[in-house]
This record gives sequence, C-alpha cells and structure tokens, in this order.
Amino acid sequence: MNELCLEINSANKSFPGVKALDQANFKLKKGSIHALLGENGAGKSTLIKIITGVHKQDSGLLLINGKEKILNTPNDATKFGISVVHQERNLIRRFSVGENLMLNNLPKTALGLIDYDKIAIQSKKWLEIMDLDIDPNTTVSELTVAKMQLCEIAKALSLKAEILLLDEPTSSLSPQESENLFSLLRKIVRDEGVSIVFVSHKLEEVFNICDEVTVLRDGKNACTSESINNLDRKKLVKLMIGREEQIVKSDRKSDDNKDAILTLTNIKTELGHKDIQLELNRAEIIGLYGLVGAGRTELVKCLIGLEKITAGSVKINGKDVTIDSPKTALEKFKIGYISEDRKKEGLILIHNVLDNTSITIWSQIKRAIGLVTDKMIADKINPYISELEVKTPSIYQLISNLSGGNQQKISVAKWLAAGTDILIIDEPTVGIDIKTKAYLHKLIIELADKGTSIILISSDMPEMISLSDKIIVMKDFQIAGIVENDHSYDSVSAEIMEYIHK
Amino acid sequence: MNIKLTSLFKKDWFGLLIVVLISIFIIATIKPTFLSPFNLYVLMVSTSYMLIIALAQMIIIAIGQMNLSVGAIGGLVAISFSGLMEVYQISVPMAVLMGLLIGVGCGFLNGYITVKSGISAFIITLATLYIFKGINLGVTEAEPFYNIPETVKNFGNAKVGNTPIPFLIVIPIVITFLMWIFMNRTETGRHMLAYGNSIQSAELLGISSSKVVISAHVISGLLAAIAGMLVVCRLQLGTPNIGDSWLLPSFAAPVIGGAILAGGKVDVIATALGVLIVAIISQALVIFKIDPFFVQIFLGLMILLAVFVNRYREYKQEVSRKIFNIE
Amino acid sequence: MRGKKNPFPLSLWPAKNIMKTLMNKKIPNFIFTNQFGLLCLVLVFIAIFSTVTDGFTSRFNIFALSRVIAIDIMIGLAMMVVILTGGLNLALGAIGVSAAMFGGWCMEIMGIPVIPSIILTLSMGAFLGWVNGIITVKTGVHSFIVTLATMSIYFGFMTMLTEAEAFRRLPELFTDFGSAKLFNKYVSPLLLLSVATCFILFYLFRFTDIGRKLIAAGANPEAAELSGISVSTMFIHCHVLSGLLGALAAIMLTTRIGAAIPSMAGQLGMDWLLPAFLAPVIGGTLLSGGKLSVFGTMLGAVLVTLLTNGLYLLDVGEFWIRFFLGIILLFAVLLDKAREYFTLKSVIVS
Repeated sequence: MNELCLEINSANKSFPGVKALDQANFKLKKGSIHALLGENGAGKSTLIKIITGVHKQDSGLLLINGKEKILNTPNDATKFGISVVHQERNLIRRFSVGENLMLNNLPKTALGLIDYDKIAIQSKKWLEIMDLDIDPNTTVSELTVAKMQLCEIAKALSLKAEILLLDEPTSSLSPQESENLFSLLRKIVRDEGVSIVFVSHKLEEVFNICDEVTVLRDGKNACTSESINNLDRKKLVKLMIGREEQIVKSDRKSDDNKDAILTLTNIKTELGHKDIQLELNRAEIIGLYGLVGAGRTELVKCLIGLEKITAGSVKINGKDVTIDSPKTALEKFKIGYISEDRKKEGLILIHNVLDNTSITIWSQIKRAIGLVTDKMIADKINPYISELEVKTPSIYQLISNLSGGNQQKISVAKWLAAGTDILIIDEPTVGIDIKTKAYLHKLIIELADKGTSIILISSDMPEMISLSDKIIVMKDFQIAGIVENDHSYDSVSAEIMEYIHK
Repeated sequence: MNIKLTSLFKKDWFGLLIVVLISIFIIATIKPTFLSPFNLYVLMVSTSYMLIIALAQMIIIAIGQMNLSVGAIGGLVAISFSGLMEVYQISVPMAVLMGLLIGVGCGFLNGYITVKSGISAFIITLATLYIFKGINLGVTEAEPFYNIPETVKNFGNAKVGNTPIPFLIVIPIVITFLMWIFMNRTETGRHMLAYGNSIQSAELLGISSSKVVISAHVISGLLAAIAGMLVVCRLQLGTPNIGDSWLLPSFAAPVIGGAILAGGKVDVIATALGVLIVAIISQALVIFKIDPFFVQIFLGLMILLAVFVNRYREYKQEVSRKIFNIE
Repeated sequence: MRGKKNPFPLSLWPAKNIMKTLMNKKIPNFIFTNQFGLLCLVLVFIAIFSTVTDGFTSRFNIFALSRVIAIDIMIGLAMMVVILTGGLNLALGAIGVSAAMFGGWCMEIMGIPVIPSIILTLSMGAFLGWVNGIITVKTGVHSFIVTLATMSIYFGFMTMLTEAEAFRRLPELFTDFGSAKLFNKYVSPLLLLSVATCFILFYLFRFTDIGRKLIAAGANPEAAELSGISVSTMFIHCHVLSGLLGALAAIMLTTRIGAAIPSMAGQLGMDWLLPAFLAPVIGGTLLSGGKLSVFGTMLGAVLVTLLTNGLYLLDVGEFWIRFFLGIILLFAVLLDKAREYFTLKSVIVS
C-alpha cells in the first residue's frame, strides 16, 4: 500500500582495503520517518553518501519512486528530489536568509539583475512552513544555530525535496529546540509529502519520532525497515553491536586514600565556562559526560593551555600552577591529551608510524647536538607498539594506510611513550571496531591501576559507566552534577540523565 | 533620515571615506597646490588604471584566491595592443578587441588549469606569470613599440571639456560602477561571494564551482587587459615592463578596502577608496619632496596595518561567537 | 590486509626493484625515489647538452655554471624551509639584498674586517627573517601577505639608506673567494659551500629533535601543538633560517659579482622568486607543508640551471627562457599535486 519513494537494493561499495557496504538494502516508505542507525564504521556514512550523490555504488540499484536512477553528483540527487541537511551548517553567513534560500535560483528583473523584493516574497513562503517568523533580509550570522538549521530545511523544501536526509540533526540543539524541530518534521511529513531519513546516534530520539528503523552493522543490514513498535533500546543496541551491551565491571577498588593530583577551583574560561570544580585523585578515572556542546572538550583544552582560563585556580599536587601551552602541560606537568579528532588533531597523516609515535619524546631522548636517530626512536617505541598490538607491516608505514582502530592505538601509544601522570582521553572509541574498543577499555583501566590519573570524555554511556570511578555531568559549559559510580547501569544512567534533562 | 545615516555609518567603506576626506583636507591645507588642476589631473591619471588593476585582483580575492599574473597579463596585452598596430597596421578598434581577447584567454587559462588540476591559483598564476612575461619578452626582445597611432595618444592626453578630468578615468569609473552591480546585483557575482565564503556550502547550495572560478579569472584577465591598454595610451608607447610593478598595489587596495583574503568579503567601493588613499599618499609624498622609495615602505606598512585590522575584526567576531555558542 | 599502494607514480625508472626493496625497509619523510628520478634527469640532460651544444662542457661554462648553481641551491633551500611550514617567503630576495648591502656597508664604509662583516650580514638576514616570522605567527596572517608587505618595506628601506648606490670597493679577500677556482679550474668553492649546507640541513631535519619538530609543526600544526610542540616557535625558527640562508645566498652573489649592488636580485628582490620556488617544488617538497627534500631541492636547482644554460647555448634566445621556466614550474606543481594525491590515496574511509 505504502509505496517506496527511495529504495537501495544490494548495494556494494569498496574502498582501498575495506568493504564499506556488502549487499546493503534500504527501503524508505512514502510519508514515513525512517531511522538509519549504525556504529561508526558500520557503513552508515557510506550509504548516506550514496543516497546524496557523493559516491556511486560499485553494484546494486538505486530507485526513486520505483524508477532506477544514477546519481553522479550531489546536484543530481537534488534534481531528483533528495536533499540533505548536514551536521554542520551550510549557509552563507554573510548573506541574508532570503538570498540563501534562493541562491541557486535567484529571481531576476527584466535587466537580469537580482530582484530582492521577489526574494523576500518567495522565501517568506518557505519560512512560514517552518514556523520561522524571520524577516528574509536578516543576515544569517545573526541567527541561532537552531534557526539556521530550520532555514536549511526550508531551503530543501523550496528545492521540492521529496526525500529529506537529516544527519545528526540535534547535535547542536537544546532539548526544547529539538522538540520544536520534531514537531515541524512531523508537520512537513504530513502536509508537504516529505519522507525523512533520520540519522542519529541518540536512541531516545529515534523512539520519539521514527516509525521504521534500518540498522547497519559491518556493512551489512542487521535489520531492514523494522517497525519501531517491535523494538526496545536493548534490542536496538543488540542489533547495532551484535551483542548485549556489556558493562565491564572492573575490579577497581575505590581507594579511601584519596590523593588529589589535580584540583580545579572556581574555574572560568574565555570560552564561557563558569564555576568549574573538579578534583582528580591519583590513579582515579573521572568521566566527563555531556551532550555535544556541553563544553567538555573545550574545558580540557583550557586545562592544557590551548585556550585561556580567566579565573579560578588550577592546582597540581596541591601547588598552584599556570599552564600556558600543551608544551608546558607535557614537559612540566606530564599531562597528555588524546584528542577526539585523531585525523586532524591526533595524528599527522602524511607521516609514518615512527614519527607519529615519537613526536612527544624527541626532546626526551635526544643526545648531544640534538641527535635523534631512527634507531634510538625505534628502541624506545617498539615496546609500546607491540604492547598495543598495532597491526602494521613496519614502523615506516604511513599512518594514513592504517585502519581507524590502529590509528587510534598510535594516538594512544605516543602518550604512553611520553609517560604521563595525568592523561586526558577524549572520545577514545568513536569510529572504532568492537574488538579494538574492548581492548582500549582494558588498557585504560590498566593505566589507572598502574598509577596514571585519567580524565575520560565520552558520549558513550555504557563506556562511561564501565570505566569511570566517578562521573561529572556537564551542560552548557557548567557542571550539572556529579555521580558516584557503582557501575550498575540502570541507576547510574538514570542519575546522569536526570542531570542532563533538568 | 536618521535611519539612513546610521546605515551609512555601518557601511564598510564609510571609515575609509572619512580617511580620504581628512587626508585631502590636511594635505591641501599644508600645500594648497595639491588641489591645483594640474595636480588633480595627475592624481586622476594614476588612479585610473590602478583602479582597474585593483578590481582585477579584488574579484579573485572574492573567491578566496590570488592572481599573481595580473601584471603579466596587462603587460602582454599592452605590447600586443601596440605591436599589432605598429607591425601589422591593425586598426585601433580591432587592436583593442584583440587585446581584450588575449586578456580573456589568459584569464581563462588561469581559471581552467586551477579548476581542473585542483592546485591553488596562487601557484598556477605564479607559473603563468612567468609564461606570459616570457612570451612578452620573447616577442618584444625587450624593445618597446614606439609607433602608436595618433588617436590612441590623443586619448591618453585628452581631458573632458575644460576640466582637469582626464578622459582616461572615465573608463575606470564606468567599470567600477559595472563591477559594483556585478558583485551586488547579479547572480554570478553573488555566487562568487558565496563560493569565497565557503566552498562546501556553495556547492551544497547548488553553485557550480568551475563556473564561478573560471568566470572570475576571465573577468580578472579582461580587466588586466583593459588596464594594460590604458597604460599604453598614457605612456604613448608599449614597453615590455608594463605590469611589472602591479602586484603589490593590486593587493594593497582591496586589502585596505577591508577585503578578507580567505574570500567572500570584498567591497567594490571600499576597494576604490583604497586605490584613492594609496594614490593620494603617493602624490603627497612627491609634493612634500619625500624620497619616492618611501612610497614602497609605506605601501607595505599600509598592507600590514590593513590586514591586522581586518584580522582583528574577524577575531572579535569569532570570539563572541564562541562565547555565545552561536556556531 | 590493508591496501598498501606504491605512492609514487613515476614508474619509468630502471631501478624500480631497488626502489621497492628500499621502500619496504624505509619510507622516510624524504621522498627518496623522487631524488633518484631527478638525478637521472640531470644526467640525461647533461648528456644531451654536451653532445648537442658547443661549449657546454668547456671549463669556462662549467665553472660559471657551478657558481650559478651554488647560489640557486642556496636560494632554493632558503625558500624550502618556509614552504615546510606551509607558507611562503616572498621577501627572500629583499632580505638577501638588504643583508648584503648591509654587509657591503660594513666592509667598505665602516672598515669592518671580512669575517665579522659576514657574521653581521648573516645576523641581519636572520633578523629580517625573524620579523617575518613574528608577524606571521602573532597575527595569524598568511605569510604570503606578510612577506608581500615586508618585501617592499625591506627593499624600500634598503634603497633609501643606500640611495641606490652600490658598494664596489669591497675587500679583495672577500671578492677573491667568488672568483676562486678549484679542481683544475672547473668548480667554484661556492658550490662546495652550498653542498656542505645541504648536508648540514639534511642532518638537521633528519637527525635532530628540533628538525623533526619543524617538520611535524609544518605537517599538522594542530596535532603538533597538542603533542607538546610550540608551533609558533618552530615557524619563527623556519623564517629565521630562511632569512639566514637568503643572506648567505646574497653574500655568495656579491662575491661572484665582486660588488654589492642593490639591484642584484631585481626589483624588490623578485628575480629570486622563480628559482626559489622551482628548486624545492621540483625536488619534492610539498607546498602544503610537512614534507621536504633537501637533496631534492639541490637537484632541482641543478636541473633548472642546467636547462637554462643549455637552452641559452642552443640559442633559444634569452627572452624565451623565462617562458620555458614558467612551463616547467607548471609541470612541477602538477607533478607535486599528483604526488600528494598518490601519497594520500590509500586513506581508509572511516
């Protein structure tokens, strides 16, 4: 009865060294809001790129309204009624809202010049559908992120989109703005005949708004077009990761001898943090939980000296310190930071394993006249490379040739080699395969057992609850609450959620 | 009336206009000869082709790129223009047309290679700088063309009626006006600014990158060609070193006019005022008998200052965005 | 099994197998295979020009060549260290000339002995480079614009102070070095100086901690900063080194000419720009930063000078040489792009 407006049949797509999609299927019914889920590396982003015309499948069919179509460019996708709203905003900030909406089809006067009055009139129509009471002449940079996003959806509608793909739409929105977005989505599905592909890692939202679910795992379908009524969170997670969520109950005993190695008191930063209090004890693992935009990464970047702390005190081993750069953080205070963006901030892709792993220790191992040979480096780092079981043909292999999991291991190895007292780990297992993920979890616990104090930032609730001794919940650049962790998932996650949604 | 005034204040070029007016006022007070008809004439003549050169670079800055070959294109067209008339006896209008075509061709080459190879325009135009200059030298063997038709020479000298306004400046003013319309009121112009703002967003909004880049370079080449031919009119001959000194001023004016080199923010009027400021200062230095080499130093310092100011403005915007978490 | 592609597309060389074994052992940051290809090209052109032209292999020509090559190598190295940061030093010629004129003033007007004057000259070059570095780093403005501005500032000051007059009565000790002949009058000591500098730089970038830091900072400033490297300091070091090498190149040029002339590097020092770019780019230094080749730059300078000289001897006409060099630059950057593409091609999609 419900025809399929978009169908992908048996799509295969390979890249050098990895098969991203293996006979994957996707069937979007007309008038539905269909969730596309999958861990990073499951093939989700590849499928999205095929739908939006960025990539072409190696084999398999793409059908729009029952007819086979070939998409060579994103423009083709738009032509056939597929629009995408990405995670990052894609409007021209210096232009007005109206101009953005009509940019690829600007109304002109008889002379061929742009007719700004017509822009205002025509764009108003689309703005009203999205309940946006904005003057089309407003400059985009003056809008909030939420409104910008709604403008992008309005733009999609103006392009006569029948299929709208939303990629992590609520990552920068407040709960209220998210609710507003959802009611508008329901509205345009009902009134404008739009069908939606909803991509999100937030399972609560999926249950809130979607009616069907497709889950990808390791490039294949774990389920296809499953009705949301047949699923609960547990089942969904099992489909995504292939097993029940496992909470590793660590043997870590809570230590009554609390010895504060790092104390933050009344911290204010130039990025907007206020009233930050934090106490990290030796050999302790503190988790920092929060939604995207909570300010966790920003806080630790201030801590290591990349951005400025404007008020309050930072104490290391009880003594007041000023950390003005990551160099000082490492060399003076032995603090390391494993970045969440390993490709941009954690590794140097055009260099090899040897150079990437040793970047933190060159100063340490140099001899007279600055001499640092490859052999000296290899002697120092080989133990770590084998300890972490990094799969590489040689230490001269370019980092870009390693898999995501192995790349992540290198970005960890370089800090192990440096020998840090305090290690800040930011989203360690995003986009990592299950096996490496489990390995890294074990490693983190081992590090703490051996005496390293760890601050762990993660948006992965089970990971957070497995590993942390105590969890600090952050919201809007402030601390929303602190949760002592007894590792029982249901009660602890509930407490965390309480603080988030207060 | 009040609303109109405040919106005037907010315009990018308003501050520049004030600077221009104040400097004219100060200089004229100290040395009234600054405002003499002869001096104004000289000022306008030197501004004329500088204006077009600045616009030629401005449009490339608008798309977030750089065109190092503006001078080389101008020089090549200059000698082609004069050479065609001297050696092949080609009529003036025909020679002008061919000059324009050469400019368009050079610009197209720049844009096309940039698009197809994906290499930054800076490097491509550095190479074409030498290629065009090389052709220039190869053809002229470093000898100028002296026999320019009388009509051309007269055009270079003519004034509008009894005023000190040279005919030479009429064309640049018209072009400035056209460029303003282009950047603010035409689809291609807006697409160029969108592209300069954010290539990804522009493409997602349906703009064709190659069309934008190639059009911009073609226009840049065309403008450089016009400037080259104007210089021939002014100098009354076609020398191979026309264009050699254009690189610095071509950047100075747009940057002083508030252009952001990353792209997406240029202003035609502000660029024109930037040209005016540079011309006024250079002229003033001559009048005050200050070492002409000082002009170079001054130009360099002005560029640095302008870039600092622009950067600072952008930085402040960024910081407030960070704090208010707008994006 | 992760895709392991041969990142270098130039597969026409006979020694490909040697390459493969060497690469399986090591893929250093220096693009080894590229240098080998350059060496082959150099030998090929030497062979061609020796047979086809008169006088290519004459003692006179080779000596003259050795001096030009020496200076071009130095200029190339000076630009290379800034390209490493992902930036550019347009003021290179201006720095060189300014430093050299300063040195000339020291020697001729102030009567300072040769060695101290040379040290002062080098210090001036380093200082002017330092100014470039500080401005670039503190303001975050791209070095292109900064050096575009400082180019005219330095040159302007220099011209003003010297009133465009040359220093023609430099100490004989100094000028003799430029006309000295070694190895049976074939080679200038200037060439040995340049080659020695190459070895020093090679050691710096390959075997010292600071050299490695410079490369890391240029490759990925964010990652380097987070890994405990002070990227600003590293970039400033690069600019200082560039200025220093530029001053050294100018000193060499001055001894060759026998006088310190303000126009030795052209208007605003721009004559140096083409050789300064060509040598590193042909030699395998990535324009985007983070990968360089000292010996590649050396071979690149040799190749370009050889070609220019050969074409000149073939009566190509000095006026067309600039045209050819522009074409070569174009091909060199297209090759650079292809190289970059192949180096990253095996990135795993995540």
